[in-house]
Amino acid sequence: MTENERTVVKGLSFNGVVQDGNTVQVDLKDGKIVRIRPFHFDWKYDRKPWRIEARGKVFECSMKVLIPPFTLAYKNRVHSPNRVMYPLKRVDWDPKGERNPQNRGKSKYVRISWDEATDLVASEIRRIEKEYGLSAVLLQQDGHGEGKVVHTTHGCNRKMMSLLGNYTVQNRNPDSWEGWYWGAKHVWGCEPVGKAAYQSNIIPDIAEHTQTLLHIGNDPETTPWGWGGQTVSRLLYWFTELGIKQIFVCPEVNYGAAVHADKWIPIRPNTDAALYFAIAYQWLQAGTYDKEYVDTHVVGFDKFAAYVLGEEDGVPKTPKWAEEKTGVPSRIIKALARVWAAAPTCTTHGNGGNMARAPYATENMRAEVCLLGMQGLGKPGRHMLTTIEWGLMGVRVGDKFPFGGSVPVPRHLVYPDLISTPANRAAPTVGDLPAQFIPKDLIHFAINEATPEKPITWYGTTQSRALTENQFVKYQYPVEGCSEVHMIWTDSPSLVTCWNDGNYISQAFQNPKIEFIVAQHPWIENDCQFADLILPVTTKFENNDIGVDNYSAEFGTLFYDAKCIEPKGESKSDYEVVCAIAEKLGVLEQFTEGKSVDDYIRIGFDQCGIAGLVTWEEFMEKGHYVIPTDPEWEKHDIGLRPFAEDPENHPLTTPTGKLEFYSQRLADHFPDDQERPPVPHWIERGSGHDERIGGDRAKLYPILCLSNHPRWRVHSEHDDMQWLREIETNKIVGPDGYAYQAAFVHPIDAEKRGIKHHDVIKVCNERGAVLVGAYVTERVMPGVISIDHGARYDPIVPGELDRGGAINLITPRNTISKNATGMVSGGFLVEIAPVDLEGLARQYPEAFAQPYDKGTGLAWERMLA
Amino acid sequence: MGKVMVIDIGKCNGCYNCQVACKDEHVDNDWTPIAKPQPDTGHFWMKVTDIVQGTVPKVRVRYMLDTCQHCDEASCIPACRSKAIYKREDGAVIIDPEKCRGAGDCIKACPYGIIYWNDEAKIAQKCTWCAHLLDQGWKEPRCVDACPTGALTFGEESELQDLIAKAEVLKPEAGAKPRVYYIDLPNKYFIAGAVYEPEADECLEGVKVTLIGADGRSRGTLNTDDFGDFWFERQEPGRYSLRVEKDGYLSKTIEPIEALEDINVGDIELHRESAE
Repeated sequence: MTENERTVVKGLSFNGVVQDGNTVQVDLKDGKIVRIRPFHFDWKYDRKPWRIEARGKVFECSMKVLIPPFTLAYKNRVHSPNRVMYPLKRVDWDPKGERNPQNRGKSKYVRISWDEATDLVASEIRRIEKEYGLSAVLLQQDGHGEGKVVHTTHGCNRKMMSLLGNYTVQNRNPDSWEGWYWGAKHVWGCEPVGKAAYQSNIIPDIAEHTQTLLHIGNDPETTPWGWGGQTVSRLLYWFTELGIKQIFVCPEVNYGAAVHADKWIPIRPNTDAALYFAIAYQWLQAGTYDKEYVDTHVVGFDKFAAYVLGEEDGVPKTPKWAEEKTGVPSRIIKALARVWAAAPTCTTHGNGGNMARAPYATENMRAEVCLLGMQGLGKPGRHMLTTIEWGLMGVRVGDKFPFGGSVPVPRHLVYPDLISTPANRAAPTVGDLPAQFIPKDLIHFAINEATPEKPITWYGTTQSRALTENQFVKYQYPVEGCSEVHMIWTDSPSLVTCWNDGNYISQAFQNPKIEFIVAQHPWIENDCQFADLILPVTTKFENNDIGVDNYSAEFGTLFYDAKCIEPKGESKSDYEVVCAIAEKLGVLEQFTEGKSVDDYIRIGFDQCGIAGLVTWEEFMEKGHYVIPTDPEWEKHDIGLRPFAEDPENHPLTTPTGKLEFYSQRLADHFPDDQERPPVPHWIERGSGHDERIGGDRAKLYPILCLSNHPRWRVHSEHDDMQWLREIETNKIVGPDGYAYQAAFVHPIDAEKRGIKHHDVIKVCNERGAVLVGAYVTERVMPGVISIDHGARYDPIVPGELDRGGAINLITPRNTISKNATGMVSGGFLVEIAPVDLEGLARQYPEAFAQPYDKGTGLAWERMLA
Repeated sequence: MGKVMVIDIGKCNGCYNCQVACKDEHVDNDWTPIAKPQPDTGHFWMKVTDIVQGTVPKVRVRYMLDTCQHCDEASCIPACRSKAIYKREDGAVIIDPEKCRGAGDCIKACPYGIIYWNDEAKIAQKCTWCAHLLDQGWKEPRCVDACPTGALTFGEESELQDLIAKAEVLKPEAGAKPRVYYIDLPNKYFIAGAVYEPEADECLEGVKVTLIGADGRSRGTLNTDDFGDFWFERQEPGRYSLRVEKDGYLSKTIEPIEALEDINVGDIELHRESAE
């Protein structure tokens, strides 16, 4: 290695909330990124792999980080032609004159200086403060992104606004696990996340005892990627070697089923609750459930059984009944019920996916927990395994586990906590709510519909860390004494591509009430296209920082997240952007607390909990520290085993401490709620949604849309990566040379409509239409189209027609149900049809003639006037 | 002996890391004399192809990996009129980017179709096994380092004999003596189906299913599982029939089955003898 060569250890996961993963070694030469490769734990530290032994076989953990392809190809993202190179102002937005909100999403931009840009933001904040008060400033500062600490991707603006005195915040929902949060919590607590929180040492227990793994709506080869990489893949291959049968229940042959399934049971999207009730029906009929466990661990079993058997509503939930709803033949349901009851069975989930974020998804998740309860949840080999984000879901479960401790594999000795340290320049404001907030899935209602005279109301803060009791608290917008929102400041511009009814959200961005939108982001994508001002942000290759990989299953790694290249164009980090604005507002000193970035890196190291394991000098000399395995890992509890063995002394966090098949809390607070009644129900349709096959709407829109977490992106990140866009299941190049988002269509549905493999087609409903490329395949069941969410927004007509394939533009508008404020983004009705691409190009010549790069797609020059 | 690569298709989860790692190494990086930069897109020195097998609900996906086979009898070497292609001691076949005159003869000569034309540099390019890294002491090329499942193995031929014994080569008839070996190549097919009793509306477990070849001889017998499913794995392409039998039920023969790809014969009804 020459003087000009060095290697930097860096986290490249995309959680965006300070935690990191997917650690890599970045080789640099002469100021250039030569390569990005998996970090090898034994590069500078002597570490031995941990081992799990079961059934005479051994699993040894990898000695390198098992990174996903978007981490490997991240040079594409750093050097993307879609990067914002300097501050941009919308040509027809004049803060002293006409603001033309109706042209957001349509008009072009001109270059301005940082000085002018920060002046504009500061003066707009002061003007708004004078006219309306600071609660008129809405901060969108949540969501995913690069893992950064001092330069944290989200929330620096919030810390600064709290210094000014007030703001309104967009509050992020538990957006990937809504059904658990609003549904399953009422059965099993599992505070605060609602999904299987007790994960400790489950995997060795599965290896020893489990006979069947049921992957229900879970793609273990996709959703883990952006967080902890591909360890789960190796584990599933090992489980097969051990003789564990893997059954995938999902509408499509997802990437996990593609290689691990012993059996695929195709099921219509968002009909899982019906399947569960029919299985419970079989168990009740045959007596094949754990009666002793139910007697001692469950409350309200009689009411649940009465519903399932039809005593409540006269409809027994038989396999035949479920066949109509789910599309699964009744004989398969009966066989599945037998297999599940015959031997220790585990269900697995990512964070929830489509079935957890669909109309009435609460019922899917509640019903599943009830079924697990009927089969002795927590006993050997009987769990729900979470296949993603280990270390988050177990965060501070009661006080039982230290930070990040509840992981299903041998745990690390420590999980350094940079989130709570002052190094995290968003802390400590994250978690505290100002007087006024708007749940992220209600932004479109708040802006388009609410007024001080007629506020909107909802239940729950929707905060992912909130306890169940908070779901019974009613909130409103606007809050009395606060202003309506008149300015939006976003560092997470992806609402239209990732949330509910993006087309209605786009109308909110064009609403004349909104006088100013400023977006800060490294790339021109999605909501940026509605901003009046766009500020260029660095990637994590362009600043010094500190980081921690708590997500890798093998070992934890604390690293000095060193700068690799000079900032692109005139970009600044999110922290530096806010510093520049704080300076104009006269609060820079308070904001930085007089400390430099280097100071904060050192503070992060000193306070994160690594003390005693490595000195600062050694850390800086090696650039990283690999955290050993906890030598006592085997002594930790196994999942919910303590509850299974002794429920009185190890109660759940529900009011009764037991599994509440009937929730007295729901009965007390929402006695008239037919959409989330005290016992889980099948909800055919309700006040907010009519998205089932069999209803009148289905005559117009007969196809159910499945919208998974994407295989080749993390939500809306990475859509411009040319090396991934070459993959056929990601993008399909149309006859016009444009790379359309791939969508799985079954040959029967395709043939009926004259659609051929690789045709560009339209997916539509009343909420609008998006264009996608048809991937005609047996990988999806008939009657279903599968479109990964998060493709980059490219409006042909904003609010109506999109070329990018951003399917969330036409997802349902309403929340999960009347009183469950979760977002809905999957399991909805559409029609699909061939399109006349040449006709569209003639009709919308401007949209079809934008600067376009055949590798990366839309280039940033398209925004320039 | 030299180096070999062993590709286990059965362990490939289709993450495309190998395809992408190659681009990370070779695009915008000049490794002359081993290789000049690869174009940003369009070259696949390690190429992954999705193979979707069967029909709903008996569907699987396999991923085929195509790359330079680094043949010992490489037809590209004599085909090159500029004598730009040579074989290293470790077995790697290299196109010298400075000697290549862009005639394209090697592209036509390669039986595996894995040499690419670089239209900007006007040269032929392909996998180098990252020889520039091996020369720096790396133990394996980038694609292998990036593989999460162990589907790719690279090493001394003498040390990988166990794997090679289970493996085969692509197009052995070409006589090129490849140094890339494959396990579980998707060149054999499954014949699968499910048996049920319509009157009882039940999947039938324990049904004896016999696969019979065109020669009338049995290729094996399976008992159906809890779902009435049977899968005959890795069968040679050809014509087959199935004998489906269970005590107390009328036996059935399913024929003919043309298995030139993976075949889901579908749901097979079996009726009780007394039902006749």
